[in-house]
Amino acid sequence: MEKEMTTNQITKFQLFFLLIQSQIGVALLSLPHAVQESAKGDGWISTILAGVAVQVMLVVYWQLLKRFPTLMYTEITKKVVGSFLGKLLNVFIYMNFMLVGGLATILFIKVINLWLLPLTPGWMISLLILTACIYLAISDLKIIARFFVLATSLILILWFTSVLSWFTPKEFQYVLPIGSSGIKNILMGSNNSLLAMLGFEALLFFFPFIIENKKGVLKTVSIANLFITLFYTYFIFITLISFSTDQLTQMREPILNLLRGISYKMIDRVDLIFLSVWMVPMATSIITYLFAASKSLNLEKKNHYRKAVVLNGGILFLITLIPNEDTIITLFNQYVSYLSYVVVFLIPSLLLVLSILMKKHEMSESR
Amino acid sequence: MRKIFLVILLIFPIVLTGCWDQRLLVNRTLVNGISFDLTEEGHITVAVRALNIQSKGGGLFEISDELVEAERPTIVGLGLDVDSKISGEIDASKAHVLIIGEELAKKGIHPLVEFFYRNRESYLSSKIVISKGKGKEILSVEKEKSPIAFVILQLLEGAEADTVIPKKNTFTVWNNILDPGKDMILPYLERVKPDKVTVAGVALFNGDRYTGSTIPKEKSGVLLSLMNQLDKTNRMALILGSKKDGRSISFATRDLSRNLEVQVDHDEKITCNINLKIDIEVISYPQDIKNELNIQKLNHDLSNELTKQAKEITNTLVKANCDAFGIGRQISSFHPELWKKMNWDQEYKNVQIEPVVKVNIIKTGNVF
Repeated sequence: MEKEMTTNQITKFQLFFLLIQSQIGVALLSLPHAVQESAKGDGWISTILAGVAVQVMLVVYWQLLKRFPTLMYTEITKKVVGSFLGKLLNVFIYMNFMLVGGLATILFIKVINLWLLPLTPGWMISLLILTACIYLAISDLKIIARFFVLATSLILILWFTSVLSWFTPKEFQYVLPIGSSGIKNILMGSNNSLLAMLGFEALLFFFPFIIENKKGVLKTVSIANLFITLFYTYFIFITLISFSTDQLTQMREPILNLLRGISYKMIDRVDLIFLSVWMVPMATSIITYLFAASKSLNLEKKNHYRKAVVLNGGILFLITLIPNEDTIITLFNQYVSYLSYVVVFLIPSLLLVLSILMKKHEMSESR
Repeated sequence: MRKIFLVILLIFPIVLTGCWDQRLLVNRTLVNGISFDLTEEGHITVAVRALNIQSKGGGLFEISDELVEAERPTIVGLGLDVDSKISGEIDASKAHVLIIGEELAKKGIHPLVEFFYRNRESYLSSKIVISKGKGKEILSVEKEKSPIAFVILQLLEGAEADTVIPKKNTFTVWNNILDPGKDMILPYLERVKPDKVTVAGVALFNGDRYTGSTIPKEKSGVLLSLMNQLDKTNRMALILGSKKDGRSISFATRDLSRNLEVQVDHDEKITCNINLKIDIEVISYPQDIKNELNIQKLNHDLSNELTKQAKEITNTLVKANCDAFGIGRQISSFHPELWKKMNWDQEYKNVQIEPVVKVNIIKTGNVF
């Protein structure tokens, strides 16, 4: 156990990239559509508000994790509310990560099927994606972290690609007048973009593995959150000024459509190139969920963890066999998001309140 | 255990290569131009100029151009008809030009282009043009030369660089159709004898419907300037003064600045002031040799003449109900209450547009 901990540690620098890669994924492609459904031209305000909400949660996590610096989410639950209730909560946590991971994979496959490989059966794409994900998730967190750091360079390349779209006609008046959609609609938009920001809850699993002193962790995760909020806001903003509201309502993946209009003599269909590269950030989210789900089973031995990853990967594959129909996926998405709210927002807040009230921290004995 | 997955990852993609989504170029017929028309019975016809690539072995390909037509009561299914008439799989991913006959354009172009947005393969940078008469007339020009679509494409690109027609492709048209606060103008082509195609001007649209009004190519440059658009140059030729003893001048716009202001007064009457300043270079001005060139006066005369033309153009725009300046969007941004309660389609007729053009000669070429 001691030895394992040392090979399995990450630095704060790596934590930053782990969080970025966990959060940025398939949701970005359709995010502008989801946000503008209610917030219209004020969608970019919604994302900023969602970023603020995430920041509040990160502070809650920080307060909770400070009390239990060497424990993971699923160990903290047991410590705070006792073994039985804790195990019950852990079932929910496990299910959440599996279902969110499954949903991310389904959406991934859907995008690939829609834009790149229309005839290839979904299960085949699913098999290839999940094999790659399992291959990485089975490794130590250290290796995962190294890969995520490397993969982040791709996100920067993609950002540069988006700069190309500045040369298509832009109309700033689409976002005017600012605030016209009303506070209620903007908040509903935030709700939609919050779902795209999920992934930061992985911090609850990464925290015990951080190698250095844990003082600056809040700063690191806050910078990661700031980066993602700005990244999302930027993408939503360029989409909003490129397309009118009526047009956005029609689009499934506005970000890809944004790049579809770019054409050069040498290079055409930048959207497909973008998507091919974007596969990596999409897969990294799945890896994080696979990692968190397998860790949440609280397995002591390293070998057991590996078996759990393979097993969970198999379950994810079964989840992706759900028929690829819009209505089913929307419904699935809805239920998963409810579960996510409970696991990501409600349970950690409750745990924090309870641990403060009961004056519990890591050193206190568990019942 | 990791190794097993690595092996799977390495072997699977190799074995699966070409299993499902393989599309060979030799099996495909590349469409490079499409035209849509309305028949007398109200049916829709489509004509497709396709490039047929046939492999002759040894890396040699035979390329031939063919024109295929199909007719149906509605747009849906035309693609299938064309596909069945063409050898090989039809591929519209490089359809460079989309020509729509004016009669059909009057009924709305959204149903025609919708296919291109929905289809993931289609090319969104293809040019959309409206043709005088039938679109097929233009597509079938110079049948033996192939591929004609590139000739039309070059014609359009040249006219774009000259700021005679706006830069429009399927991608930007998509935006214009769905934007209630702005209407678009599209290039208007005609076939001239013998067997040539030329840009006739721009066609005015209201939403996705062609209004039937056009601005001729002599004046479309002024309209585009008023819309704050300038590509490489914008060359114009004018006759100053009366037709009989008028002096003719041709010049090129080098720079322009436009200021568009929309004012709403207490009675909710909408006035739009457009102030256009253009810096021009004189290209040709065969004047009386004895007189010295009076730049001041020429500036003044040109400004007057262009303001007059601009006024004519804006009158045509209002009459055609084509909000090419995006006045509606200005109102929706800065007067949202007014925008919500009014019906812009009907209100636009009452808008007062006041264009003022100010010309400034910055260069006179090699001579004074």
